[in-house]
Amino acid sequence: MKLPYFPGCTLYTRARGLDHSTRAVLAALGIELEELPNWTCCGTAFPLAQDNYIGMVAAARILASAAQHNGRLVTVCSFCYHVLKRVNHSIKNNAEARRKLNDYLEQGYGGETVPVHPLEILKHDVGFEALRARVRGRLKGLKVACYYGCLLVRPAAEMDFDDPENPTIMEELAAALGAEPVHFPYKTACCGSYQVLNAYDVVASRGREILAAAAAHGAQVLITSCPLCQFNLDWLQGRGEGTVLPALPVLYFTQLLGTALELPAEGLGFESHYVDPRPLLLG
Amino acid sequence: MAEEKEMVSIYIMGKQYRVPYGVTIMKAMEYAGYRFIRGCGCRGGFCGACGTVYRKPGDFRLKVGLACQTVVEDGMHLTQIPFYPANKATYNLEELTPTLATLLRHYPEMTRCLGCNSCTRICPQELQVMDYMAAAQRGDIAKAAHMSFDCLMCGLCASRCPAEIVQYNVALLARRLYGRHVAPRAEHLARRVEEIKAGKFDAEIERLMKMDRLELQKLYDARDIEP
Amino acid sequence: MVSVGPSGELCEKISEISGQNPFLCMQCGTCSASCTGIGVMDLLPRQVVRMVQLGRREALACRSIWVCSSCLACTARCPRGIDIARLMEALRAINLRKGHEVLSPERIPAALLTEVPQMAVTCAFRKLSA
Repeated sequence: MKLPYFPGCTLYTRARGLDHSTRAVLAALGIELEELPNWTCCGTAFPLAQDNYIGMVAAARILASAAQHNGRLVTVCSFCYHVLKRVNHSIKNNAEARRKLNDYLEQGYGGETVPVHPLEILKHDVGFEALRARVRGRLKGLKVACYYGCLLVRPAAEMDFDDPENPTIMEELAAALGAEPVHFPYKTACCGSYQVLNAYDVVASRGREILAAAAAHGAQVLITSCPLCQFNLDWLQGRGEGTVLPALPVLYFTQLLGTALELPAEGLGFESHYVDPRPLLLG
Repeated sequence: MAEEKEMVSIYIMGKQYRVPYGVTIMKAMEYAGYRFIRGCGCRGGFCGACGTVYRKPGDFRLKVGLACQTVVEDGMHLTQIPFYPANKATYNLEELTPTLATLLRHYPEMTRCLGCNSCTRICPQELQVMDYMAAAQRGDIAKAAHMSFDCLMCGLCASRCPAEIVQYNVALLARRLYGRHVAPRAEHLARRVEEIKAGKFDAEIERLMKMDRLELQKLYDARDIEP
Repeated sequence: MVSVGPSGELCEKISEISGQNPFLCMQCGTCSASCTGIGVMDLLPRQVVRMVQLGRREALACRSIWVCSSCLACTARCPRGIDIARLMEALRAINLRKGHEVLSPERIPAALLTEVPQMAVTCAFRKLSA
């Protein structure tokens, strides 16, 4: 199966590990991701002002270009997924947004593309039971805290991804891979996001709370889908400000899946992590 | 009135002039009495100094062209864009690495790009400006360099950008990084430089320096010319 | 400080930009309890909404709107269905559209600028710069 793929800017640079591991695990499961031929940054921020559509143009253009190739568009970064999903929702349900955005686009677009997240592909196209049959117990006994962050699940009506207060799709994945998902109360709490550049105290204090809660519930690693969450929680510990000992490696869920499928570790991007997950995962 | 048929009406900064049909905007402006003492440049479509914006009656779309290359049309309302003040970073190319981090350090405002495509639409060279900025934003220095190769640095893109980015300076940095740090080195050039340093051509140059004009002319006329 | 005239004007402007009716708010405080940035806010989200209802300029001048991380927890949990994140964005937008911003490139430490995933830079500029 081939699916059009929108990596997003960060996956080309700081989050190369997420890009490589996503492509590798889906390829191992028979799904080839075909990068869109021509793409720009999605904008990262879904504009919350309702009187202005310029911030949605980039995302609208990306969705429109995918409509030419196929029905679905795969993207893994939580920010990109959030923006694409919500802009698409606006175009489908808001006639003024649709009209104004189409003015900027080189071809007409009415919301036909369906943004999908690899977790949805794993659940619905591949199936968690099929995954369970493919793994050989590499992750047995590994306690995994599944950290969703804020943008994957909210707002629930538009994201239509999972329960916004108690999502379980990542726990189902972790369990299918033979690991032990641990419940912890901060799994949809925001890490502080872009405040890393403005009010770092928010990121530092929230990060410590999230990590402490995960550790208190027995977690040995965290998994996430967002490069900014990964950075905020990883860098904090790398700077020695995490206060959780031993430090908790923060992985992308695709890196966990890649490890479970016994793909070569060099292709999964562990080198750029501040808290090295390799001793725990591969040791 | 045959003579009238060969003249067209254009509006330079709001004032109407009758100028000959078929001349470039630049020639038309000079015909109308304007003297270019700067903002004129090479007159050959290469330096980007003469960026001009214009509209035609009844059409809201803004059009652009280089004054030295674009032929006047009847009804053109035009003005020239003086060089926009541009954010220009200073750097020592030797010390830089060809990465996104370098671009971000010197032009962090490039992340403000909205993807509105105004820059592409206004480019007189028909470059894919938004696309090369997208390549730059994901650290693809080579792509940004190649896609912006024909840029004249006319400044029209920067004049339209709502995010106040100066696209051509980002592209210039990308091209410099590419040329200095990414592009493969010309090995034959390096070899030739070594040969020169070793004195391989010293005797020949000495000989040429001592020749008189007639001898040099003979040598020149008999040189190898590529077919 | 941005001047917005009699109290009704501020409220109207915010409603227009956010598409929300601040008078639905019953001051229950669920938003404050859910808020990510509350540790460094001067006004609680609940208090910001109250200021908007009263048309008071503190809503525009507080630090709270600038340390909001747009996590949408308040929006998700508001029992009256108010999209509080949009209210916060409207307050930022009024400031930004008048040129009042809190983030400029010089304020970001150079080391962080090149370490952080650039989506953070892009998003921060969208939310916090004019």
